[in-house]
Amino acid sequence: MKTAALVLSVVAVLSFSLPDPASAQGRPKIVVFTKNVTNPFWKAVRVGADKAGKELGADIEHAAPTKPDNIEEQTRLVEDWIVRKPAAMVFVPVDFKALVPSIQKVNQAGIPVVVFSNRMSDVDFVTYVGSDDETIGYEITKYLIKSIGGKGKIVHIDGVPAAITAQNRKKGLERALKEYPQVELLASQPGNYRRLPATQVFENLMQRFPVIDGVVCANDDMAVGVAEALAAAGRGAKTKVVGIDAIPDGVAAIVSGKMQASADYSGHDQGYLATAAAIRHLRGEKLPKDIALPVVIVEQANAKPWTVPVEEKPVPDWSKVLQSQGGRS
Amino acid sequence: MTTAAPAAVLRSWRMPDVPGAAYLVVILVGVFATANADFLSARNLGNVALQAAALTILSLGMTLVILTEGIDLSLGAVLGLCGVVAAILLVSYGASLPAAMAAAMLVGVTAGMCNGVLVAYAGMPPFIVTLGMYGMAQSLAMVLTSGNSVTGLPPAVRWFNEGSWIGTPVPILAVLAVFGATWLLLHRTRFGRYIFAIGGNRHALELAGVRVRVWLVAVYAYAALLAALASLIMTARMNAAHPTIAIGLEFDAIAAVILGGTSFEKGRGGIGGTLLGAIAIAVLRNGLNLIGLSTEWQVAVVGLVIVTAVALDALRGRV
Amino acid sequence: MIASVQRLPADVLFVVFTRTAFVAALVALLALATPHFLTVDNIVIVLRQAALQFLIAAGLTLVVITGGIDLSVGAVLGLAACVAATFIANGAVGLGIAAALAVGLACGVVNGALVAYVGIPSFIATYGMLWVAHGLGYVFMNGEVIHGFPAGFRFVGAGFVAGMPVPVLVAAGLIVALHVVLHLTRFGRALYAIGGNAVAARLTGMPTRRHLVTVYALSGMLAAVAGLVVIARVNAADSGTGEELLLTAIAAVCLGGTSLFGGAGGIAGTAIGSLILALVVNGMNMLGIATLWQAFAMGAIVILAVLADVSFHRRRT
Repeated sequence: MKTAALVLSVVAVLSFSLPDPASAQGRPKIVVFTKNVTNPFWKAVRVGADKAGKELGADIEHAAPTKPDNIEEQTRLVEDWIVRKPAAMVFVPVDFKALVPSIQKVNQAGIPVVVFSNRMSDVDFVTYVGSDDETIGYEITKYLIKSIGGKGKIVHIDGVPAAITAQNRKKGLERALKEYPQVELLASQPGNYRRLPATQVFENLMQRFPVIDGVVCANDDMAVGVAEALAAAGRGAKTKVVGIDAIPDGVAAIVSGKMQASADYSGHDQGYLATAAAIRHLRGEKLPKDIALPVVIVEQANAKPWTVPVEEKPVPDWSKVLQSQGGRS
Repeated sequence: MTTAAPAAVLRSWRMPDVPGAAYLVVILVGVFATANADFLSARNLGNVALQAAALTILSLGMTLVILTEGIDLSLGAVLGLCGVVAAILLVSYGASLPAAMAAAMLVGVTAGMCNGVLVAYAGMPPFIVTLGMYGMAQSLAMVLTSGNSVTGLPPAVRWFNEGSWIGTPVPILAVLAVFGATWLLLHRTRFGRYIFAIGGNRHALELAGVRVRVWLVAVYAYAALLAALASLIMTARMNAAHPTIAIGLEFDAIAAVILGGTSFEKGRGGIGGTLLGAIAIAVLRNGLNLIGLSTEWQVAVVGLVIVTAVALDALRGRV
Repeated sequence: MIASVQRLPADVLFVVFTRTAFVAALVALLALATPHFLTVDNIVIVLRQAALQFLIAAGLTLVVITGGIDLSVGAVLGLAACVAATFIANGAVGLGIAAALAVGLACGVVNGALVAYVGIPSFIATYGMLWVAHGLGYVFMNGEVIHGFPAGFRFVGAGFVAGMPVPVLVAAGLIVALHVVLHLTRFGRALYAIGGNAVAARLTGMPTRRHLVTVYALSGMLAAVAGLVVIARVNAADSGTGEELLLTAIAAVCLGGTSLFGGAGGIAGTAIGSLILALVVNGMNMLGIATLWQAFAMGAIVILAVLADVSFHRRRT
């Protein structure tokens, strides 16, 4: 008897304090998936997505695994969200192959999907929004090579080797290297997109190679760590560092001169555009199959707009972005 | 401060002597069913059952290990290794499905036997042995695949997750079969009696002339074999094998076993409780997703629930 | 009873001897394999990486001596670091350090109370705390990164004193301090007694429960100190800080021989264990061996080391 009372009271208390699942009449509920809640890149995605929801009149909910980048968890999240019947799903896979069956289930359930940042094959999606990682890798490597005079020795600090972003960025790096035979790639080692591992890997590489002219890092979190390691060793002047993402402390490092450049991989813009695409699709607008963001290299000269915190960044102009896709639908 | 007062209060409520996991499942189902109309839908309950399958199978093997006062931290990594070995054989070497499955199980049993031999014959602490095996198995799996998923599997593989037989999905059948087999093993064979005895009083068993070490190796081999089986289900679910697919799952399995009332130290417990523990964890995670609790808070709530449930059991004197 | 005490020093000697021999062998091997290894710069780097590793494993060693485990050290490190970072980035360095220690203390006390007073196995209690600390860290940071600390604070992680990185000096100081605590104080000896036989210890009138709470509190606070050094090193804090450091910390403690035979190895063992792990990583980077093999190397080394300890112990029995 007392047990039953305990159970009932717990149920009563909790059900009154739980979030109200009902969505307002007319406002579609859209779930935006991100890979984790630790990397500020995905925070920027969520901020952009929320802005799109606010501007275009949709309720945005977020889904990310509790264990960062966990495949099994993201699979469960997708399955659980199918039960909740969202109007649309904005999705980035933590593994572009392993999440295919889950998105196929979403397709079967008739929920429209917008994929962003990491391409997926064998699934139906309304549109893909993203920057092309291969082009980004190519452009940022080319920038570095040019800044060291077209010849010299460089090191590559890779992201998580299994991530499609890391693989494509590396492909871009290799394409750039082919164009500059006088540049030697001393080593390519993963820093797993994290600052401390990248710093320690690079420190060890600094010992192995007394002369390093440039470092290409697969993201800014690692690039800043590498730049700090160079500065601490007094080698900052002799080695140029570039990264990808243009996150706040990467931009700060560029402004202060510790880093040379970063390729903008705007989570904020991707989040906004992908979510806006989903909402517009629900309204019946026609969308191109691919919405590609241009590659922008952030360097000291043009860094100012990127020093603005992500909440205050202006959202991209939808019609301009669509126009620039020109004939790619 | 002693445990006497709160323990006495809880005992005074004359709660039946059932593991905390049972209450946990009831409370969680009650809360989530009230909070979200879709929780009790056929689709969702079906999802939960499938989501719990791999964890349950892993936890059943883990129960046996913990009953012998051991622990196996390598099961998640071994699961990943078995999965990628089978997948690579299927994709790159054109092996048949039964051959790939056999290979996966062979890999699992080998890893388990290595664990068992080091624990039983070298006398090393299971924590350390399986920690080392975790590192080695994970590395091997990553090197074999360069960290990538292995795809391009023959369509027959998906039967292990999507298929059904006599109206029941295959993963559920697998769980039932493994549960049945493990139950028979524990309660109807000499092996099972030895498992309980090794945990309770190993020395007495040795004095009785039983070759305890052999049976201990068998326990770890069995747990790893179950990990290999679970890898088939997970590979089918993702239609891909990934080396780190189950890293961390062994911790949830350990939590499921303890929630289910099996003790680390007294050779006491059983697989019925483990089943409830695994279901509790699956229901908890599913329910938190359905009510839309933010990821950040979910992480904290999961830890809180596990600790609270075990604490209540401890206060009742059941740990 | 007397026989087992007499047995203890030999086990400790064996651990220290074998680990030192292994370090010497590794150093010799790497020095021969590449000229870049045995340079002052590189040795300093290895020492700093080892020191960082040791700081996290130090508190864990104390817990393991009592027969428990603290799985929450990485998560507590991260949470403490994030809380501290918010203060320190705004210039309130003293407040930040105090906040970090307070977080470590609070988490540790909760762990200790759960283990000692509620009777939950340390594995589950600290596993739950791992999740809670991670979760609170995520909520607190809300996906942001805090970066840019004052130079005075950064000195703790990135600075040098007489050519030695500050973290190495902090670690050295900690080794001495903890060694003294373990072997020259009643509290320290109580920890060994609890690890040997907790029931017997309590029957002798020892306040074992209070000691357990203290030891987990120490583990939490030392994790917080490690967190401060880490963020001073990388000049940034986010909710992922410390996540990857738990398993290597456990490996360092196991390598140091502490988890066996009444805590043989102790703090010195953990320190050497941390050094070995740092040497292995450094060596693998130097030789260009793929990072994917590092976990294998660490797992194999831990097993071999403990196997040696156990075999030696048995041969003497």
